[in-house]
Amino acid sequence: MRDIWIVAENTPWARTLAAAASSIGKGAKIVAFVQGDEAAAKDAIAHGAAEAFYLPLPADAPWEAYTPALAAKAKADKPALILLSASRRCRDTAARLGALLDAPCFSEAKNISLADNGIKADTMLYGGLAVKSASSSAALALATIGAKDFEHGAADASRSGPVATLPLDPAGVKVSGRKPRVAQSVDLSGAAKVVGVGRGVSEQSDLEAIRGLAKAIGAEVACSRPIAEFFKWMPEECYIGISGQQIKPQLYLAVGISGQAQHYFGIRDAKVIVSINKDKESLMNKNADYYIAADWKEVVTELMKAVK
Amino acid sequence: MKKIAVCYKWVLNDADIRVNESTRNLDTEKSKPQINEYDRNGLETGVKLKAAAGAAELFGITCGADTEPSAKDALSRGPDVVYYLSDPALAEADSAATSKVLAGMVRSLGDVDVVICSECSSDQYAQQVGPRLAALLGYPSVSYVCAVSVNGDVLTLDRKLEEGTETVTVQGPVVISVSPDVCEAPIPSVKQILGAKKKPANPLTLSGIGLSAEAVKPLSKVESVKAPLTSRKAVDMAGGGESVAEAVAKLVKQLSTDGLL
Repeated sequence: MRDIWIVAENTPWARTLAAAASSIGKGAKIVAFVQGDEAAAKDAIAHGAAEAFYLPLPADAPWEAYTPALAAKAKADKPALILLSASRRCRDTAARLGALLDAPCFSEAKNISLADNGIKADTMLYGGLAVKSASSSAALALATIGAKDFEHGAADASRSGPVATLPLDPAGVKVSGRKPRVAQSVDLSGAAKVVGVGRGVSEQSDLEAIRGLAKAIGAEVACSRPIAEFFKWMPEECYIGISGQQIKPQLYLAVGISGQAQHYFGIRDAKVIVSINKDKESLMNKNADYYIAADWKEVVTELMKAVK
Repeated sequence: MKKIAVCYKWVLNDADIRVNESTRNLDTEKSKPQINEYDRNGLETGVKLKAAAGAAELFGITCGADTEPSAKDALSRGPDVVYYLSDPALAEADSAATSKVLAGMVRSLGDVDVVICSECSSDQYAQQVGPRLAALLGYPSVSYVCAVSVNGDVLTLDRKLEEGTETVTVQGPVVISVSPDVCEAPIPSVKQILGAKKKPANPLTLSGIGLSAEAVKPLSKVESVKAPLTSRKAVDMAGGGESVAEAVAKLVKQLSTDGLL
């Protein structure tokens, strides 16, 4: 088996990808490329890489400026598979590497199987409505991997291997400033219970009742994309879905949510889903564990009484 | 700035795609094609950039198995002209194939300073075409753009990344991929819809842009497309004719048993 490369935007991602590479590659040599300093490269080695390259974030160029050097090295070294984190800088890098190396790239791939004659992987279609299984016999394939798909193993500090870096090619793109993300007011990723608000809730003032219920059951409040993006009732970090947050709570209570595939994608890992949607046939009711097909106001009022 | 090209995809409206519960196949019979929703923000970005930069021309470009019907809709959203390429060879096009064809189209149009893509399509959601196109054209790629401003030939672009916002400056030619929050995508007015009929929609062909069907073969082969099995029980809490209060009581009891309340 030829080498598997991992390209990671930070150290936690590098650990996840190292676990993915060892699970998929079954003994293939892992070469890591990770954002950060020498310590990041050594951490990748401790987590399973045989060799690691550290790619510091340049002050005046995007991190993706390492792409041409990665492509040149891939042409020379001929890895069988390059796994990248499904994060924005790495998605951009993955796509450009795909073009430069004329290789397919499976976005947020699942069930990757690698053999000498090619690769098979599943990706989703129509916002999660369907799964596409595809294969490729190209000499090289790329895939981006979701953060939750692999658990990383323990560090083995006795492991050692060569550590180096790669040159940059900014190609005329100059970074003039960076602003860190403002700390989120809500932490949906770790919430055990989440109440989601959808367009079935017609007035912004109705949010009060829903917040009251959420507080009573110890839940965070989230929403569907239109509530945040079009009505702007809630901050953008609060919307759940394929292009928003993907959460894994014990309980997800959907209030007035239609349940389009794009939204369901963000809650598919919830342990229990409850839907309150007056349209009995709505997708959200069909994809819930329990549902009540009635006016959400009535249901929330009764729920408040019941949980007090 | 001379020419701005906006790439768009003609996709099935997934809201009307149904799942056949027994076969898990997708039933697309009731689903009509439409302009990829994300690309509507891309088209509007092109309109705004053309005005701000005083660019001479705004193109809409698309490729696929049957893209001619898309031209009028695209034209109602602002471009001066649409170039479309329809070829049955593109029925199974993946991101690699699509970006090769778009690169050929951009090259054949000549002197395009800015190519605008949206970050993804609603069908594949692969998020690859913009950066692939940039690499094939040898242009810089600036992806996940959430704000665009222009001063002479210099674009200043804000990128929304996981760790925060990165502001970059770049001079064309460049491919930018915009996120939906880059701008609102207005619904075309009646005047714009009528005006679209007077604008040119020009077909291009693979051979006309120097490509063969073989050269744009997908790099991956689709083995199957199936809706995933949902393991959710979908229990109607009022399935026995319960009132809302009774249904809620039942739900609370169930969730308490599950240790969730």
